[in-house]
Amino acid sequence: MIDPAHPATSLFRHVATDKAAHYRAIMETFAAAKRQFRLQLRPDEVQIEARWPGATPSLDDIQMALTQLADWGNLEVQPDTARVSSIEDFYRARYLYRLSLGGEAVEAALLTFAQTLARQSELQTVALEDILTDLNALIALAAAPAPDAAKVHTVLRDLVRVFERLADEAQAFMAGVARAIELQQAEVQAVIAFKQRLIDYLQRFVGDLVARSGIIAARIVELDAVIESLLMLAAGRERRDSAPGANEAAALEARLVTWRERWRGLSRWFISEGHIPAQSELLRARVRSAIPQLLAAVAALNERRSGRSDRSADFRIMARWFADARDDDEAHRLWRAGFALNPARHFSLQSEAVARHEQLPASTPWADAPAVPIHPRLREQGEVTPRGAPPHVRDRDAERAMLAAHIAEERAQIDAARATLANGRPTRLSELEKLDAHAFRLFLALLGEALVAQRDPDQAVECHSADGLLRIRLEPLADGSRASIRTALGVFSGRDHLLTVTPAGDRP
Amino acid sequence: MSRARPGAAQVGDVLSRHREEERRDALRALLMCPLMTAAHPDFGAVRRHAQELRDWFSQSAGWILHVEHDCARLYKRPADLGDATRGAPDFDRRRYILFCLACAALERSDPQITLRALGERLLALAADPELAVRGFSFLLESHHERRELVAICRYLLSLGVLQRVAGDEDAFVSHAGDALYDVQRRVLAGLMASSRGASTWPADSAPATLDARLAALTEEFVPDSDEGRRTAMRHHLARRLLDDPVLYFDELDGDPAMRAYFTNQRGALAARLCDATGLAPEQRAEGLALVDEAGELTDVAMPATGTASHVTLLVAEFLAGAERAAPGAAVTEDAIQEFIREAVQEYGRYWNKAARLPGAEQELARNALARLASLRLVRREGDAVRALPALARFSLGSTDIVARKSPANHTAPAAQTDLF
Repeated sequence: MIDPAHPATSLFRHVATDKAAHYRAIMETFAAAKRQFRLQLRPDEVQIEARWPGATPSLDDIQMALTQLADWGNLEVQPDTARVSSIEDFYRARYLYRLSLGGEAVEAALLTFAQTLARQSELQTVALEDILTDLNALIALAAAPAPDAAKVHTVLRDLVRVFERLADEAQAFMAGVARAIELQQAEVQAVIAFKQRLIDYLQRFVGDLVARSGIIAARIVELDAVIESLLMLAAGRERRDSAPGANEAAALEARLVTWRERWRGLSRWFISEGHIPAQSELLRARVRSAIPQLLAAVAALNERRSGRSDRSADFRIMARWFADARDDDEAHRLWRAGFALNPARHFSLQSEAVARHEQLPASTPWADAPAVPIHPRLREQGEVTPRGAPPHVRDRDAERAMLAAHIAEERAQIDAARATLANGRPTRLSELEKLDAHAFRLFLALLGEALVAQRDPDQAVECHSADGLLRIRLEPLADGSRASIRTALGVFSGRDHLLTVTPAGDRP
Repeated sequence: MSRARPGAAQVGDVLSRHREEERRDALRALLMCPLMTAAHPDFGAVRRHAQELRDWFSQSAGWILHVEHDCARLYKRPADLGDATRGAPDFDRRRYILFCLACAALERSDPQITLRALGERLLALAADPELAVRGFSFLLESHHERRELVAICRYLLSLGVLQRVAGDEDAFVSHAGDALYDVQRRVLAGLMASSRGASTWPADSAPATLDARLAALTEEFVPDSDEGRRTAMRHHLARRLLDDPVLYFDELDGDPAMRAYFTNQRGALAARLCDATGLAPEQRAEGLALVDEAGELTDVAMPATGTASHVTLLVAEFLAGAERAAPGAAVTEDAIQEFIREAVQEYGRYWNKAARLPGAEQELARNALARLASLRLVRREGDAVRALPALARFSLGSTDIVARKSPANHTAPAAQTDLF
């Protein structure tokens, strides 16, 4: 129970203060004393027994720290009534200290915390092996005519325990990998060695997971048919352990539901359900994707160390050199020498004589050579585009009219072409009179559509044109007949057909 | 109905011409943009011609070209260490320091960083006592300092070292937001062009003066043989011709061997460089300039549109006239300001409002002289300037009044030399 005067949060306060190391030393001393069944400590005992991080503090300091800890609720205080042997001791406030309940809880929590942090998150391939063994045992048990409830229960419990550990560690491991990737700033050699180990490890685990998860999945599928009865046995056995007098049917049902959930969790881990991939698949994918990430991090570190010198230090020294420059001009010169990022700089324009490829003798002084021709407006006004009122908005009616006339003319030509072709009379291609360019284009388009629809070169075909305005019927004539059509675009020739084009809606 | 196909030989000609043009474009692009990321339009061409470009640069100028799959870097080691007009745009001494510190922070950073995080790293690095001794402090407290940091970031963005993922810089200045960037390690690794890292000298033997440092950063091994020395001279001249607007004989006075080599070889040298770059040699008695007819290969254009450029052109003309009248005489800055004040009468109506205000002539004169100096047309001497020979290119004398009214096409610069 926590004393309400000390809210739980203040119990942890000593961990986060400036003198945390001292406080921790004191509290660890108390925890050690507690393990030795010594319930109370005096300040001088603390001074002697504690493992101080630095120099041993004075008794007064320890007294202050103890008072503070008692304030926060980690320790409990009692007046000390033991005999004293000096006057100062008599006048000093004398107390005995012992861990309070809250203080003990904090110690336990901190211990767990430290262990969890220190735990090397490992993917135990042994766990996979155990799971497989347990599953095999279950199958063997289920095959018996009357399964032994005690054995089933034990195996199931063991299975769940191993599986939970596997899941926990997989999770811890993935978090560890994520942390490892952030190891960008550490000592390079150490990082590279660490990552090398990690990668070996990952590869080994992934291999094992691939090898075993298939068998495990198969065993789970095998068991699925009979598992319900086994779970029932386990649940029944557990109910007997539960407190008597409770509603037995409800208790059994609750146990059974729990077991079913566990089993589902297990099978979900190894077997994909619908479109949700199995956990082991996910883990494998993440492990696989972690490897290139790690390699990239290593490469980045390597890249940073490459080059003859540490570039970051180079930049810092350059900053000092720039600071040494007496003025901006000196800084500019240093910049060019150190960075050489400036663009080239050249004169533009040549004198007309050069442009006409007349070579001046190289001994001509610049003063006697012709000057470069500069655009007069540039010379006079510093402008190239003339100034003046903005151009008027132009009246485009004439152009619009011309365009409209043009479109109308085109349409008329297309209509004429339709009229020429879509006469409803069967015509042999070879008898088509000379077509003008428009009619021929239309004819080609129609012919193309008809030929696409034709499955067999000897069959007649009938189809609508793409614009739906015309219907085309094409009947091939005797094999070997030839038709050639002269047009403005050239001569078109091929097997002769009988062509009937009718305006859609008309019945031929 | 088949058209006559061109012969295979013709196709081959067209293809090889196309290849040559593409290589020339790639080479010119690298001269203008020595640190090129894949976003640059000519990057593909650079990749295609990587081997030839590498060979050409190393053979002609002794410059190293690295082409990777996502960026290209031409290490344009400069030959002229005295030119103070080739700094980063709008940078001053403080910004250079901040730029270096920002790069030092990025070298140690993760693949992504935010503007605020970069600012915090910068603060830690700027607290270097060595910098404090030199009178540099950066606290990121004032608006002005936040803007400085943003300016550095924008420059890094323009170089391609950073790529913006989200946010914007202006919000950071007003404490209202932040920006997230990807750090392009490979581009970052290509920033430094010195032959040796500045941190590789032990503290006691590190170069201490500016000149020693410039020499140390650009030091190269020269084989101790006639051939080696000749190659070193050839590379030195090629670097100046490729990167700088003009090379005067007088600049080589300190090195008689170099001057003699330049006098004898300049024709051949110019021809070789121009053939590959599409520049045109302008050989004169006083020196040699490689001219880019189209005006693409330069960061300081002249002539150009706009008030400042117009004033620069007028000042150039004025100085060229003064030089003709009294060769070798220096012209004071006051005289130039006076000239600009008078020019307002004639040309002011074409200029922007600010340039017409009284007192504007100081800034206009300073700007014009800076441009002329950066093109090596004038030399500053205290608060006076002396014309350099190439300034005569811009001595126009008087233009025809007629030209103002006619649509001035007959005097327009000749069209580009044929491309095909």
